[in-house]
Amino acid sequence: MDIKKVYMGRSVEEVVRLLGEYENKAKVIAGGTDIVIALRNKVIEPELLIDISKVEELKGIKEDEEYITIGSITTFTEIVESEIFQSNLYGLHKACKMVGSPQIRNKGTIGGNIANGSPAADSVPPLMALDSIVTLLSIEGTREISLEDYYYDSIKENELLVNVKFKKPKDNQVLTFAKLGLRKALAISRLTLSSFIEFDDNIITSIRVASGALAKFPMREKEVEDYLLGKSLNEETIEGAIEALRNSMDERLKGRPTLPYKRIAISTILREILEEALVFEKGVKAW
Amino acid sequence: MKKRGIGIGVSFYGTGYGNGFPDISRAKARLLPGGRIGIYCGVTEVGQGAKTAMIQIGAEILGLTEKDIDLIHEDTSLMPDSGTAAATRQTYNTGNAIKIACENLRSKLFEKAKVELGLNSTAGLVLDSGEVVLSIFPQKRISFKSLSEIYKDEIIEAEGEFVAQTTTMDPETGQGAPYWPYTFNACAVEVEVDTNTGIVNLLRATFAQDAGRAVNPHLLEGQMDGGFAMALGYALFEDLKLEKGVIKNNRFSKYLIPTAMDMIDVEKIIIEDPEMTAPYGAKGIGEPVIIPIAPAILNAIYNAIGIRITELPVTPENLMKAIREAGVNK
Repeated sequence: MDIKKVYMGRSVEEVVRLLGEYENKAKVIAGGTDIVIALRNKVIEPELLIDISKVEELKGIKEDEEYITIGSITTFTEIVESEIFQSNLYGLHKACKMVGSPQIRNKGTIGGNIANGSPAADSVPPLMALDSIVTLLSIEGTREISLEDYYYDSIKENELLVNVKFKKPKDNQVLTFAKLGLRKALAISRLTLSSFIEFDDNIITSIRVASGALAKFPMREKEVEDYLLGKSLNEETIEGAIEALRNSMDERLKGRPTLPYKRIAISTILREILEEALVFEKGVKAW
Repeated sequence: MKKRGIGIGVSFYGTGYGNGFPDISRAKARLLPGGRIGIYCGVTEVGQGAKTAMIQIGAEILGLTEKDIDLIHEDTSLMPDSGTAAATRQTYNTGNAIKIACENLRSKLFEKAKVELGLNSTAGLVLDSGEVVLSIFPQKRISFKSLSEIYKDEIIEAEGEFVAQTTTMDPETGQGAPYWPYTFNACAVEVEVDTNTGIVNLLRATFAQDAGRAVNPHLLEGQMDGGFAMALGYALFEDLKLEKGVIKNNRFSKYLIPTAMDMIDVEKIIIEDPEMTAPYGAKGIGEPVIIPIAPAILNAIYNAIGIRITELPVTPENLMKAIREAGVNK
């Protein structure tokens, strides 16, 4: 079926109304870096496209007392260029900078990265490590869901992903990220990891670790979190964390042809995120 | 663990069809209205820079700049056959044919100038910036433009043909000298191998290429960079993943070629040792620039981790498999 109409959405209210009206006949397009490929390959065949790339309310990064909120059509480039992600939130900057190529980063959006649902979405593990909340809007109302739970109850046909938000980090908290791609640009992630760690006098007092491309969708790595909580980072605990992650991968990816490679390669990536956190903790800028 | 290693690859490559096979290039050069020169030959531009190099060779003989020459090519109804743009043969073979055609045209222009200038002989005539000049009495001169106006009803043109000299190998013993000329090169690379991810990172490279004579050094360096990048893809990235005759990596998100981010600045050295049978000594380098790169990379991997790779490409997963099989990584 060919696309019959393209609406250029002007407001969230209008887009939500159109989605309510057309439901499964409509698809939302923002940067188009994923959906255009899906359309060409006829993976999806909507009658109607709703272009949200000009909806001002969905743009930009906002900060208040408690939260940092990223509008869904904020591009990877805008995140990379934002001052907010230069210090202890550097992990998100790094993840967005490793997406595709400059052209893709200029068009691709953070909301699209989440809504597309790829297990290899680069921006999702850091957002999940930040315990982000996704806001979805439909004619039925507003739905807020944690990014961790989102993949079990993802976007519905009548919903618009409005923003993703997370609590502002404290000075003793740091977000890190590492990616294994098979070349230096335009590489789909083979595996990604992100950690959000709170240190108190060398000791990890709070930790969230999220992975990409290690399951059907990005997910929290609770075994690693449990292992590292209450410990300090050193050679022994880093090795222990690698072992913990390998154990849970062995169980989860049993029989997968990619497992023998990924279970070895994971050590470089996990080491990278933990060592970056350690450098931060020691007060030296890793970047 | 990250380990570094250095490797060297060298090659020599016989250019042209070789082995006694007829290898002929033909070209024509013609005086055009306005005193321009047309070079007609079947050279095909495939990105290698033939269009520029062929004009340069003609310009050199006719004492012109590249701007004064029109290259008429890639239309078989307008030009003689110059053979294929293959076998690294165009600069040498068609370059020679153009050189001969332009030398023949030069003789014809001298004959016409002799008549127009009222001279006894063509001896001492030279070409300078679009004019035929008598070197012992430079006031005696006539421009190509004037000649083209005087002889506007006559076609002033000349042909050139170059037949490469190659001999057949002895079919019994395989002995002989099947190619002429040969092109030589050498490449050294330093790599860093991550023994946990299997990623091979190129740190630096030096690449020396013998060209006989570099007709256009910038284009030659471009060829060297291009050959290096292509070989880098062949060595480390490009995998069709053929399964029962079906190409599994059938899109560029899976069939990876190096990006600008994967390519490094290669230190390039041009060696000029003129080949006596070549136009101004210049030999072809098109295919040879790919050859020594993958061996250099594989030798560097061996130097870094002590494992001989015998299958390409060395993708991270393939390298990790080789490491596992070698029992290096526990």
